[in-house]
Amino acid sequence: MRKKLFTIAGFIAVTATVVQMNSCKKNDSVQQNNSLTFSVPAGFPKPQYNFDNNPLTKDGFELGRKLFYDGRLSKDGNFPCSSCHQQFAAFATFDHDFSHGFNNQFTTRNAPGLFNLAWQTAFQWDGGVNNLEVQPLAPITAPNEMAEDINNVLGKLKADNIYPGMFKAAFGNDEITSQKMLKALAQFMVMLVSADSKYDKVKKGQTSFTVAEASGYASFQAKCASCHAEPLFTDLSYRNNGLTLHPTLKDYGRMRITDKSEDSLKFKVPSLRNVALTFSYMHDGRFYTFDQVLNHYATGIVQSPTLDPSLKNGITFSIEERTNIKAFLRTLTDSTFTNDKRFAQPQ
Amino acid sequence: MKKQPILPVLFAIMLIVFAAGCSKEFSSSGYKAPGKADDSFNLRINFTPVFDTVKLSFDSTYTNFWKEPFSVSAFKFYVCKFDLINTDSGTVYHINPEKYFLIDAADSTSWAVKLASKPFRYNRISFLIGVDSIRNVSGAQTGALDPTKAMFWTWNSGYIMAKLEGNSPLSSIANNKIEYHIGGFAGPENVLRKPTLLFPFGQFSEIVADKKSIISINANVGAWFYNPHQIKIKETPSCTTPGLMAKDISENYSKMFTVTAIVNN
Repeated sequence: MRKKLFTIAGFIAVTATVVQMNSCKKNDSVQQNNSLTFSVPAGFPKPQYNFDNNPLTKDGFELGRKLFYDGRLSKDGNFPCSSCHQQFAAFATFDHDFSHGFNNQFTTRNAPGLFNLAWQTAFQWDGGVNNLEVQPLAPITAPNEMAEDINNVLGKLKADNIYPGMFKAAFGNDEITSQKMLKALAQFMVMLVSADSKYDKVKKGQTSFTVAEASGYASFQAKCASCHAEPLFTDLSYRNNGLTLHPTLKDYGRMRITDKSEDSLKFKVPSLRNVALTFSYMHDGRFYTFDQVLNHYATGIVQSPTLDPSLKNGITFSIEERTNIKAFLRTLTDSTFTNDKRFAQPQ
Repeated sequence: MKKQPILPVLFAIMLIVFAAGCSKEFSSSGYKAPGKADDSFNLRINFTPVFDTVKLSFDSTYTNFWKEPFSVSAFKFYVCKFDLINTDSGTVYHINPEKYFLIDAADSTSWAVKLASKPFRYNRISFLIGVDSIRNVSGAQTGALDPTKAMFWTWNSGYIMAKLEGNSPLSSIANNKIEYHIGGFAGPENVLRKPTLLFPFGQFSEIVADKKSIISINANVGAWFYNPHQIKIKETPSCTTPGLMAKDISENYSKMFTVTAIVNN
């Protein structure tokens, strides 16, 4: 009897504590049974995105997904985020050097694939955007991309029949603000995790490389991985990889952000995950094939004061090495990710 | 079997849990007068956009220190982190450090900053012009910091701390525009300024129970052009990136404020 009473007392005390803890959270009604778990794949480092400021919920994610695929975020309705970031291309623009924007214009840099963004602290080829949440403001307002004003976007969302309810479900009330829109988009984007390629399956012991792939992996580790570091296949640094200055765009990369001459011609090292899907390559999409890229590193390096020291003498590949490295790079394609229904256009 | 006092123990546990659970969100320095609502204020700071000492008009043409004619079409700046100071006793009171205000010449409802301060007699005021570096890197913000206020750079994340736009026949930019968007929060590009303003001679801001103190401050557009750095429209019709020029202009506009009057009643 006594034991039983103590058990009950303990149970009630614990319940009271839990209830009390929940009541301290804002919007606790939103949090319950609606939270979304962000899983860190085995071997990945700690994510950089601040989830505390934007707790993931199913409703927040679904709102972000709808926004990502909604043309009304652009001036004329034709350019949702997904027009340049296509799931089948790992959210890059398939087979394009530059992407299409408002009024028959083009972007001035190659659209990167969107995945594993939770591990990045800076966005764009030059790292000019310092938080995932504010990244969408750049393409939405760029006159050659979505060409829209944020207030106009919010006006369109407010006038819609469905959005107010989705904002309420995601954030506790139906007021539509830029902050909520951006946090919802961040929830969708941060969930885009690509970590189920053949390479990953080999790492988990679920399958094995072919002889060519295994040999290519060894060459990759020796010759490429100092910049394209595993497991993200980028060290997220900015480097000058010896490209000639684009004659018309005259894009000096990171120097535009830091205003420092030592950053001239430096661009962010892109991830090579899904690299077989994200052609064309380089910040200006000048190469369309693996061979063109390997040729560049072998014989195309342009010497300049800011050239990355590791590329000073180029990289030598034997014919066999090239074949094997290309075979390995294809193991980085994550078809689980590109076919994941959670990330597809909502019905 | 002796009866154990289970229920009292249980209630005690629940009481402790509830009492210790929620600490209400009062910033340590956010003053709340006893018995007053959270949004009550006892200090109002009235900013008035001016040219020299005359209220700014978007329809007027002005002449800067270098005899260059110009007109103004937009004039906005952020203020935050207000400190009230008494230099006699060495008292510094930090008010609501996290609240940001965007003073917009086009919207007179934005000119009054209402704050709650600790009752005391003060003889200086200080505030930050701009947005603290941490808020520049913390993702989507709201309120005065909402990116819909057109004070946020999308291509090189960060807030425009202060903005002055207009026209001048001496500008070489299309449509003779002048455009000064001053920002930059990191390292040597930091344009954050925190001036300390004197009060008119012999005047104090007296904050006592049930009374308000009103501090009137002029913000003079003319100051952007000459002290300590020469900014001539002919040479510099625009500045829209962080860097040395932005720093120079921020040093100029940090001197644009004058406390013109204090009313305690």
